[in-house]
Amino acid sequence: MKTGWILFTGLAVFYALVTVIYWLVGGEAVGITALGLSGGLAALIGFYLWFTNKQLSNVLPEDNIKAEISDSAGELGFYSPHSWWPLPLAFTMTMAGVGLLVGWWLTLIAVGALLISILGFVLEYEKPVRSSH
Amino acid sequence: MTSHVSNPSASRQTEQSNPAKVNRPNIVAVGTIVWLSSELMFFAALFAMYFTTRAVQGPEIWLESTGLLNIPFAAANTTVLVLSSVTCQFGVFAAERFQAKRSGTLFQIQKWGMREWFALTFLMGAFFVGGQIYEYATLVSESLTLSSNAYGSVFYITTGFHGMHVTGGLIAFLIVMLRVFRAKKFGHSQATTAIVVSYYWHFVDIVWIALFSAIYLIK
Repeated sequence: MKTGWILFTGLAVFYALVTVIYWLVGGEAVGITALGLSGGLAALIGFYLWFTNKQLSNVLPEDNIKAEISDSAGELGFYSPHSWWPLPLAFTMTMAGVGLLVGWWLTLIAVGALLISILGFVLEYEKPVRSSH
Repeated sequence: MTSHVSNPSASRQTEQSNPAKVNRPNIVAVGTIVWLSSELMFFAALFAMYFTTRAVQGPEIWLESTGLLNIPFAAANTTVLVLSSVTCQFGVFAAERFQAKRSGTLFQIQKWGMREWFALTFLMGAFFVGGQIYEYATLVSESLTLSSNAYGSVFYITTGFHGMHVTGGLIAFLIVMLRVFRAKKFGHSQATTAIVVSYYWHFVDIVWIALFSAIYLIK
C-alpha cells in the first residue's frame, strides 16, 4: 500500500508537469484536458491509498520488510460464493445498448429488466432470512 | 471513515497476538475509488470535447447561445446539489456509528440515522434532476436543442451525461436504503455500501462543480 500511494502520487506529479509543459509549447484543448485529468486519476488513487494507509493503525505486512508470509493470513473481506445475477445483468445491459440501434422500444424494455437484474444482484445477500456469511 | 475490514469474532482471538490479521484496507472502498478514477477519464473526454468544439467553432456561436442560459437558476440548483453532498456525509457519519434509523422524532435532526440523511440527500438530488429537466425544457422552447447547433450538442451531452450519473446515484441511494431495510442488523457490510455510495455522490458533485464552472461561468 505504501508503494502504491508513492507510485500513484509520483504519476500525478509527472502528469501535472507534462500538462504544464504541453500547455506552454502550445498544445490544444484535448491534450491539456486529457493530461491534466490523467493527473487527477493518479492523484485520486494516490490520495486514497495514502489516506487508507494512514487510517490503519498498523504497518501492513506487504510494507514490512521483516514480515512473514503467514502475517498476511486471515480474513480478506467478503466474497460472493457464486451468483447467477451477473448473467441477466450483462444480457439486459446488452439489450439496452442494442436497443439504441434497433429501436427505442427495446431500450425501454431492457432498462426495466436491467433494474430488476440490478436489484436481484445487490439484494442477494440481504434476504429476510439471513444466511450464515 | 471506516476503511478497514474487521471481523468481530476473529478480533477476539487475534487481537493481542497480531492485529494485522484483522486490520486491512477495505477492498470495496479501494475498488470504488479506482473505478471512480476511470469515471474521471470518461468526463475528461466530455470536457475535451467541449473545449475542442469551442476552439474549432469560434466564439460567436458561444456568445449567441450562452446568452440563453439562466445562470441564477443553475446556480441555485448547483447549491442544492453541493448541500446534498453535506447531508450525504452526515448519513455516512451515522452509518459509521452503525445507526440505521433515527433514535428520536423526525424533527430531532441530531438523532437522525443513515436512513433519514440519505432520504434527504435523495430528495435534494431529485430536486437537482428536476431542475435540470425544467432547464432543458426552457432551453428547448428557446430553440436550443441537441441538433440545433454545435453548442446545443456539447451542452446537452456534457450536462446530460452528468444528469444520468446523478440519476444513477439516486437509484444507488434507494438500493442502500432497501438493503439496510432488509438486513437484520446494521454491520460493516451495510456501512461499506453506504460509504462507497457517498464516494460516488461526492465525485458526481465535484464533476458538476467543474462542469458548472466551465459551462456557466467561464463559457
